[in-house]
Amino acid sequence: METMTSRERVLKLFKGEPTDRPVCFSGMGNATTEGLNKLGYKFAHVHLDAQQMAETAVTTPQLFGFDSCVLPFDLCVEAEAIGAQINTYPNSDDLLYPTIKEKVIHNEEEMEITIPEDLVTRGRIPLVKEAIGIARKTIGETVAIGSYLLGPFTLAGQIMELNDLLKLSFKKPDKVGKLLADLTCVIVAVAKEYEAAGVDYLTVREMGATSDVLSPRVFKSLILPHLKNIFEQLRVPSVLHICGKTNNIIVPMVESGATAISVDQKNDVVDTRKKLGDDALIFGNYDPYNVLVSGNPELVKETMRKCLEDGVSAVWPGCDIWPTVPPENFKAMMETMNG
Amino acid sequence: MATEERTQEILEKLKNAVIEYDEDAAKEGAQEALDEGVKPNDAIFDGLVSGMQEVGKLFEAEEYFVPELLMCADALYAGLDILKPHVEQLDLGVKGSVVIGTVEGDVHDIGKNIVKMMFDVAGFNVYDLGRDVPLDQFVEEQLKTDSELVCLSAMMTTTMVGMQKVIEDLKKKNPDVKIMIGGAPVSGDIAEKWGADGYADDATNALADAINMVSSLKKMKEEAEAREKQK
Ligand code: B12
Repeated sequence: METMTSRERVLKLFKGEPTDRPVCFSGMGNATTEGLNKLGYKFAHVHLDAQQMAETAVTTPQLFGFDSCVLPFDLCVEAEAIGAQINTYPNSDDLLYPTIKEKVIHNEEEMEITIPEDLVTRGRIPLVKEAIGIARKTIGETVAIGSYLLGPFTLAGQIMELNDLLKLSFKKPDKVGKLLADLTCVIVAVAKEYEAAGVDYLTVREMGATSDVLSPRVFKSLILPHLKNIFEQLRVPSVLHICGKTNNIIVPMVESGATAISVDQKNDVVDTRKKLGDDALIFGNYDPYNVLVSGNPELVKETMRKCLEDGVSAVWPGCDIWPTVPPENFKAMMETMNG
Repeated sequence: MATEERTQEILEKLKNAVIEYDEDAAKEGAQEALDEGVKPNDAIFDGLVSGMQEVGKLFEAEEYFVPELLMCADALYAGLDILKPHVEQLDLGVKGSVVIGTVEGDVHDIGKNIVKMMFDVAGFNVYDLGRDVPLDQFVEEQLKTDSELVCLSAMMTTTMVGMQKVIEDLKKKNPDVKIMIGGAPVSGDIAEKWGADGYADDATNALADAINMVSSLKKMKEEAEAREKQK
């Protein structure tokens, strides 16, 4: 029996208090084709219109009983405010996520960036804020509203060539460190705006720093200090998400100071739980594509049960929920939460 | 001519330059090889490439990560640039051209760049279209360069479907072209279903597969030519 609203559930979870049933939510994008079709909106357009963005985000809890509503859906918002240009593929009928078309930094010399004074009024930051407000008005206090930001390293990879960033992390760690410090200011400034707009929690996505790409050593020396700085300044509950291989950076992830950590299907959660103890908030860790989209309801249920058995604190996807998730799979996921 | 001992020393220097991502040492070693009469082919394969193989092992053992790999590749390229003009044909039995890129809507290019490097090393002519490549461009570039091989990379399940269109189009325009696909969501099954000729889960396997395909293509061509002659 459900005795709490989704929002109560999520807020209690973050406080470490018991909930009526396991929480099933996300801090990353979760627009669905089902929702888009009901509204008659095109994916390429919802990134550019606050009303459409909010309505789309709201359909996920409304249609499926998901415990959260998250917006935006792409990873370009902060980079755009700094000065990058984006491509939303307006003429494509395929489901394509916006990407960076023109970077801000083109060579090592350009790494000394000046953060625009009016940063938080640039690009789509006002639009996302407005969308958060509209979403709140639409669903009231019943569903938790979340938003996300990129981590400083991943954001750096959006505004300069990732290959160069990776190499310079070794060759010129001071220069990279300075850039990450600048971007940390950007992230905190944007986070404050989202907090003011009324989000219940924020996720910092630092997927560029996964151990599939970067060594745990560099993660600790170069990136962790900035993450600590960010989480220290957030007021709402926070989540640090890193996908891919994360078992050997799980302890520094917790040291970042985030309220919870989020990992994907590559993480051995049994081991993580053992390392971190009973009180740590660990969110995860199902494969949003191979289980939720291309699996069947049986596989979905089995996977959700396994996540809970392995010891996650809340069932949560390894990345964005893929728009084409079949409704019966989404429903199967939510059903598992009720036992 | 360098003595056997000195040759070994130079090869060792080239190998270590790659492993220790030391571009200057790679350049120096390459120049020494040329000056002292070490065969450029040996310098490339027993020096630089042998170093890269070692790097591959360090990567698998999680001692090296992507940044190290990229820096090792830079050292390798530094040596290769000096040696390449002095080799007539790299002694792999095949010499081919390849068009490579990450498909439209997808900006994940770390994996693609690693695969590309393997082709560079093996002496292929590589036409790199970059990332987020409009699907038609693969077909255009293949026709323009008459490449034997087209390599498509995708890291997302949504962009992966674009590959199917490119494969269809390419096969229509040029049935002989060989197509390889890869990237995390791709599998051997998908490659087969969509009519790609090859799939590999990492860069080393990609190269081995590509060499086989291009060899068999060359062989087919030669056989066809021989048959023509007999007529
Ligand atoms: C780094 C990264 C990014 C960076 C990319 C920067 C860049 N320049 O590449 C940024 C931050 C920009 C990014 C953005 C996004 N990402 Co991303 N990203 C990753 C991440 C963490 C690492 C990928 C990587 O480079 N791996 C290392 C390389 C070496 O491995 P590889 O690419 O697999 O390549 C090897 C093989 O596959 C093979 N290979 C590769 N290509 C080819 C080609 C051929 C022909 C052959 C034979 C072999 C071959 O050989 C390579 C070498 O061994 C993965 C998660 C993960 N841990 O894997 C997610 C991931 C790929 N991203 C994902 C998503 C969802 C996104 C976004 C949509 C998020 C959003 N909401 O916008 C955006 C999309 C942007 C876009 N439209 O492209 C998902 C994709 C899910 C899916 N199944 O579709 C992943 C899997 C994360 C997850 N856990 O779900 N991302």
